[in-house]
Amino acid sequence: MNAGLVRQALRKQPWAFAGPFVTQCLAAALVSGALGASSSLSRARLDPAARRALTESLIPEMAVLFVVVSVYLTALIVGLTMTSSIARQGRDIALVRAVGATPGRVRRAVAAQAAVVAVPATVLGVPLGALFAHAWLAGLTGHGVIPPGVTFHPSAAALPAALGITVGASLVGALVAAVRPARVRPATALTETAVPPRRVSVVRTAIGVVLVAGGVVLSILMANGDPAKADGSSFFTMLAMCVGAGFLGPVLLRLTAPLARLFGGTGTMAADNLAVRAKALSGALVPLVLAIAFAMVKVVAHTTSVHVHGAPEPAAQVWTEYSGTAVYVAFAAVAAVNTLVTVLLARRRELAVTRLVGASRARALAVVVCEALTVTITALVVGTVVAMVTMVPMLHGMLGTWTPYLPSGQLAGGLAAVIGLVLLGTVVPALVAMRRPPVESLAVDP
Amino acid sequence: MDNVVEIDGVTRSYGSRRRPVAALRGVSLVVPAGTFVAVMGATGSGKSTLLHCAAGLDRPTSGRVRLVGRDVTRMREGALTRLRRDRVGFVFQSYNLLSELTVRQNVLLPRRLGGPRPRPLDEVLAEVGLAGLAGRPVGELSGGQRQRVAIARALAGRPAVVYADEPTGALDPATGEQVLRLLRSGVDRAQVTVVMVTHDPAAAAWSDRLILLREGEVVADGPTPDPETIAERLRATVSEPAVAR
Repeated sequence: MNAGLVRQALRKQPWAFAGPFVTQCLAAALVSGALGASSSLSRARLDPAARRALTESLIPEMAVLFVVVSVYLTALIVGLTMTSSIARQGRDIALVRAVGATPGRVRRAVAAQAAVVAVPATVLGVPLGALFAHAWLAGLTGHGVIPPGVTFHPSAAALPAALGITVGASLVGALVAAVRPARVRPATALTETAVPPRRVSVVRTAIGVVLVAGGVVLSILMANGDPAKADGSSFFTMLAMCVGAGFLGPVLLRLTAPLARLFGGTGTMAADNLAVRAKALSGALVPLVLAIAFAMVKVVAHTTSVHVHGAPEPAAQVWTEYSGTAVYVAFAAVAAVNTLVTVLLARRRELAVTRLVGASRARALAVVVCEALTVTITALVVGTVVAMVTMVPMLHGMLGTWTPYLPSGQLAGGLAAVIGLVLLGTVVPALVAMRRPPVESLAVDP
Repeated sequence: MDNVVEIDGVTRSYGSRRRPVAALRGVSLVVPAGTFVAVMGATGSGKSTLLHCAAGLDRPTSGRVRLVGRDVTRMREGALTRLRRDRVGFVFQSYNLLSELTVRQNVLLPRRLGGPRPRPLDEVLAEVGLAGLAGRPVGELSGGQRQRVAIARALAGRPAVVYADEPTGALDPATGEQVLRLLRSGVDRAQVTVVMVTHDPAAAAWSDRLILLREGEVVADGPTPDPETIAERLRATVSEPAVAR
C-alpha cells in the first residue's frame, strides 16, 4: 500500500523515469551479455591448448567483473537519477505527508517506483545485451583474443539474474535517495517560494579544493615513484579529482558562465541562467567530467604508446581495455544526459514565460544551446585537466615521455561525442517542451 | 475536550542562523472545539506559517503547539504524521489532490494510509455535491469540483480540526461560496473546528471569529464582523506604519 503515490508519479511524469529506465536497461544488457558470453565460452568445444589460452586471456574474469560493475553502478546511478524524479514529486509527497503518510512509507513508495520501472527496462535490456555479447565475441575471435570456434549462446539465466540485479540494486539506490526528501517537513514543500539557495557553501568548496589538491599531490608522488604501482593508484587519483570537481561544480560553472556573454543578448541570458542554475547543472558536470577523463586516459595512454613505440599494441589488450572503458563511459553518459533533461524539464514554465514576454521559439532555443555549450566547454576543460594530471606521470613512468599524443581524428570524434551528448540532453527536451503554445504549458504545469 | 488547538508563544524564523527572518513573533491563541476561525493579514504577515505550525506541518522555532491536547512540538515525526492522519483534515489553495487518481482514491487516501474508517463514500460525496463522480480522475474536474473533493477528503474521516489555506483563492465568488458553505456546515452539523487562512473579507465573513496578523503578531482577535468592517480593519492593519524594532 503506497496510497497511489506510485501510480500518480508514473502517470503524471513518465519522462522523469527515463534516467532510471535507461540505467536499468543498460545494466540488464550488461548482465545478460556477460552471462551469455561466459556460458558461451565455457560451452565451446576447444582443444586443451585453446582452453588454456582462453583462461589466460582473462576474458572469463572480465565477464564476472561486468556483472559486479553493473550491480554497483545500477544502485549508484538509479539512486542519482531517482533523486531528480523525486524532486519533481515534491508537492505530491508533501500532500501525502500532510494527510498521513510517514517518511518510511514515502521512501518505500519511491523505491517501488524504481522497481516497477526496472521490469520493462530489464525485459528490453536482456535481448539487447545478447546482441552486444554476440558482437563482442565476434570481435574478440576476429582479433584473435579468443580461439575461433567460440560461438554465442544466450544464457537461460540471463533474464532472472538481470531482473534480480536491476530490481534489487534499484530498490537500494532509490531507498537511499529518498531518505532526505521523505523527511522534509510538509510545510517546506507546500510553500510557494521554494527557490533553492544560490549561495555555494564554503564547506563544499573547501572539500572540493582538498580533493583536487590531494589528487594532484598523489599524481606528483607517482611521477617520482615506482612506475609499476602507478597504474593502480592512478585510478584513485582520477576519482578524487572527479569527485572534487563535482564539489567545485557550481563555482566552476560560475567562472565559465561569463564566457557566454560574448554571444550578445542571447549569451547574456544564458549566462544569467547558468549562474542561477549552477548547482543543479553541476549534477551533470560530474558524470560528464568522469566520462571524459576516463575515456581520455584510456585512449590517450594507448595512442601515445603507439606513437612512442611506433608499433600498434596487441589488439587483444586494446579490445579488452576499450570495452571495459566503454561500459563505464556509457553509465556516466546516461547519468549526465538524465540530469540535463531533468534540469530542462523543470524549466518548462520558465521557457513558456520567456516566450510570452516576446522571445521566439528559435531565440529561446538559442539560449538553451548557448547554456549547453558553456556546460560542455566547462566539462571538457575540467575533464582534460583531470585526465592530464592523472596520465602524465603514468606516461612518464611507463613510456618515458612527458607529452601525451592523440591523433586529431580521435580528438574530433571525442569532441563531437561530448557535444552531441549535451545537445541531446538539452535541445531535444527543449524542443519537446516548446512544442505546445506557451499559454498551454503554463496551464498544465503550474 | 475543550480546546482543539492551543498555541503558546510560538515564533518561527527562516533563513540563516546569522540573519534570521521572523515569520511569527510570539503568537498565542486558543481555539475551542466547534468554532470557525478566520486568520487574515497582508501578504507576508505570517498567516500560512501560523497555519502550518498549528497543523504540525512545520515546527516552530520556539513556543508550544498543542493539537487535540497533545504537544506536537515535541512529537516524533511518525507519531505526528499519525496524529495528522487521524485527527486533522487539510484543504489548500492548490496542489491539493493527486491529479492522476480518481475522486474515490483521493477521498480514501487517508484511509489507505491507515487512517480511521471514513463515513460511507456515497454519503460524503452527496454532501459536497459530487454524487456519481467517484470514478472520475480528478484531473478532469473543474477547479470548484476539485476543491469539493478536497473538502470531502478532509471531512470524511471525522477530523477534530480542518485547516484550510486560501481554499477559495483560485475560485470565482459563486464557486467559492459553495466551498465556504460546506466548511460552515461541517462546523455547524459535525462540530468540526475549522481554521481558515484567507485574504478575502467575503470568505472570512463566514467564520465565527477573526484573527488579524501583522508582521508575525496577532493585532486583533474577536467575533467576526460583516465583510465591510473586515475589509476596513484589514486595510487599517496593512497601512499602519510598522512598529519600530
